Amino acid sequence: MALEYDKKDCFIVEGKLALPYSYFAGRVGSTFITTLRDKKKIMGVKCPVCNKVYLPPRQTCERDLTDIRDNWVEVQPAGEVINFTVVRYDDKYLPRKAPFVMALIKLDGADTPIVHILDGVSPEEVVIGMKVEAVFSSSPTNNILDIAHFAPKKPEKVYVSQRKVSAKEKEGGQPISDEQKLKQERRKEMSKKVIITAALSGAATMKNQNQAVPYTPQEFAEESYKCYKAGAAMIHVHAREDNGMPTHDHKRIKDTHDAIKEKCPELIVNLSSAVGMGKTPEQRISQILYVKPEIASLNTNTMNFSIVDRKTGKVFIDFIFENTFTMLQDFGKAMEENNIKPEVEVYDLGGLDNWFLIAKQGFFTKPYNFNFVWGVAGGMEFRPDMFMVMKHAVPEDANFTTCGVGTEQFPAVTLSCMVGGHMRVGLEDNIRIPTGELAKGSYEQVEWAVKIAQILGKEPATPDEAREIMGIKKQ
Amino acid sequence: MANRVAICAVAQIKNDPNLWHARFQNMLLECFEGIISQTNVSFDMEKGIRTVLTCSDDVWDARTISDNAITDVVGAHFRGEEKIAQESLNGLGYAMACILSGHDDIILYMGHMKESQTESRGMCTNLAFDPFYCRPLGMDFVNVNAMQARAYMATSCINEEHLANIVVRSRKNAKKNPYARNNAIVNQDDVMKSPLLSDPLRELHYYPTTDWAFGMILCNEKRAKEFTGKPVWITGFANCIDSYFLGDKDLTSNFTLKNATERALKKAGIKGLKNNFELYELCDHAAYQLPMWAEGIGIIKDGDGGKWISEGGLDECNINISGGMLNGNPLLLGGAARVIECFYQLRGEADKRQVKGAKRALAQSTYGAAGQHQAVVIMEV
Repeated sequence: MALEYDKKDCFIVEGKLALPYSYFAGRVGSTFITTLRDKKKIMGVKCPVCNKVYLPPRQTCERDLTDIRDNWVEVQPAGEVINFTVVRYDDKYLPRKAPFVMALIKLDGADTPIVHILDGVSPEEVVIGMKVEAVFSSSPTNNILDIAHFAPKKPEKVYVSQRKVSAKEKEGGQPISDEQKLKQERRKEMSKKVIITAALSGAATMKNQNQAVPYTPQEFAEESYKCYKAGAAMIHVHAREDNGMPTHDHKRIKDTHDAIKEKCPELIVNLSSAVGMGKTPEQRISQILYVKPEIASLNTNTMNFSIVDRKTGKVFIDFIFENTFTMLQDFGKAMEENNIKPEVEVYDLGGLDNWFLIAKQGFFTKPYNFNFVWGVAGGMEFRPDMFMVMKHAVPEDANFTTCGVGTEQFPAVTLSCMVGGHMRVGLEDNIRIPTGELAKGSYEQVEWAVKIAQILGKEPATPDEAREIMGIKKQ
Repeated sequence: MANRVAICAVAQIKNDPNLWHARFQNMLLECFEGIISQTNVSFDMEKGIRTVLTCSDDVWDARTISDNAITDVVGAHFRGEEKIAQESLNGLGYAMACILSGHDDIILYMGHMKESQTESRGMCTNLAFDPFYCRPLGMDFVNVNAMQARAYMATSCINEEHLANIVVRSRKNAKKNPYARNNAIVNQDDVMKSPLLSDPLRELHYYPTTDWAFGMILCNEKRAKEFTGKPVWITGFANCIDSYFLGDKDLTSNFTLKNATERALKKAGIKGLKNNFELYELCDHAAYQLPMWAEGIGIIKDGDGGKWISEGGLDECNINISGGMLNGNPLLLGGAARVIECFYQLRGEADKRQVKGAKRALAQSTYGAAGQHQAVVIMEV
């Protein structure tokens, strides 16, 4: 019964239909799309005979055939979910990775619901009747995605002048406790503190660029001490062999860590989990677990991490810095399980979103600490606008610091300090001071960072204050 | 009552998950030869087939003018040729128009679809939506049907057990149908634990990827006896289309199916379904559609779907004895598969699944998202 043809030498032609086209949206559709795009207004048309408000708009009422093309009415950008599904398969034409919610949403002022994507709520929490509002796209798409998606409607805004001291007081309950008051005051006090980190070496800065780059444990200890005296609370370490090569050797790294702690027990030592080029995931994480520092770097995306001539664009060394989701997950988990605070290294927004995705697993403990890294060849150049986007993208109660390669170092840390973040300097990122002269050591950059903090009305945090801010348990 | 048209012969290949080793031309040729050997119909321009009608779709065939690839194997060269890229049951309406207008005595009607050819069925059905209001959202027939399922299940008290029972029964019935896709027998638990596809639809609630082809000969009343001693008569046909935008319609109203059924019955001169039909073949792309379309054609009252399934209504009314579209027919051809099952049943040729005393049957098909287009045909012996 079934067709059973000879299956020998059958050739399957793999093909693809790809057909660029243009499509006139129609006069009614054109008005709808351009008004949505340019004015962030959602327009329907109302039939004067049956009073039905159609969305999407159209030329004719299909019920009574009335010409309604010019009878525009603005509908509200908010409404309620009347039906939904959770799309649980992935495909190239779908606008989201599964699972995502597709919903029929009836906007206030419209009679016909429209289909759209509902974000900002987990699929399990979607219910029919839920109030939602449009989130407009920040860049034009020229189609219905000029409404980027819908999201649960936020409660009405309460102005500060109308706000009571606390929710409990508003309900006539007890005012906040003394302990809570103390905590609030402490938080206010700490907001004046800025944590200065010195990254002494990195994996690539060599003595032939700046003599002060430390290689031996003793040199690390001496440099760290100078930075501490200048105002640093934390030292970021990529350990080196005597010949300057970055190393994953457990003993060498521990010796370097211990030498710093011996010379200056107060300092926080932040170990790199990147180590240097060409290290395996195992080599990268095992040394962290062996040394157990108080804090360690956790990288968020696989990226180009190259050496490219900034003036000519010539590529000197091409390198892929591998940080898969699995590594982000496994390294992060291992650190949290061993009481090592991750410092989340963010080279671009995608990396931050990678962290958010993995963070859904729930193993990262608050407060979160991010480092925005600028100027890596393969990452992003420092742009103040983008810095603010990153600041707004991290959770409100998270800490952030920043570092920038070369001349981006000081502009980046200045902005960070100005908007409530922390600062990382050091020869890893830049071998010079803002005057253009070679830095005498990382400590000289720390001195500059302290000046910036003072100008901006901040004080360098002591290591213990830094621990309190970053949620580090002293070991 | 309108004039009637005969279906004199049908031919088909077995529904298959992936006929990669057969071109759709091969699939059609098998059916074509089946038709010729049963009827000895000729291609004489006076007394034979003057017009060939085919059913296929450009997107699914990955070429435009999809009929161009097959006109030779279906004998269409040097005569009238027409294609419908619409649900196949509507081809019967087209054939009736050719015949009842007197322009043709005989219509050869062939259809094919290889769903396995495409990387993604969803990518194809996403293209059914307009490029700026709907398509960018990723709408396809599965996720839109899922929203209809949610709405319908609420109004007709359909639960997970009901849906599971429909799937279990479909697989069981299909085992008695030699042309049905070979699928594993499943139990209620298998269905209820099958992964969610698009809530509330689960993978097993949805018809699987299928390749298939068919052929049939339709003829006017006068000449039917030249080709068969047992014609099956089409006495009524109607279709109806609903609004395009999903939000414009009540997803549970069955407006279009009610409209099409009413008109088809009227043409056939039949007052109501009760005691007038021995079987029904309904186009269930997804399990929830079986009770929903049963409500639409009027076997049961609106809202009674859940109760009816619990009370064994599907077996009592002989719904989808073939296994239905749910067991696997390709999109576009579900309607032809329904008609062909009714044809066998009414001729008493349905073997192990034969409904005793079948004299009249109703076949239904649907196309578009959430039952937008509906078609109904009444068949009698």
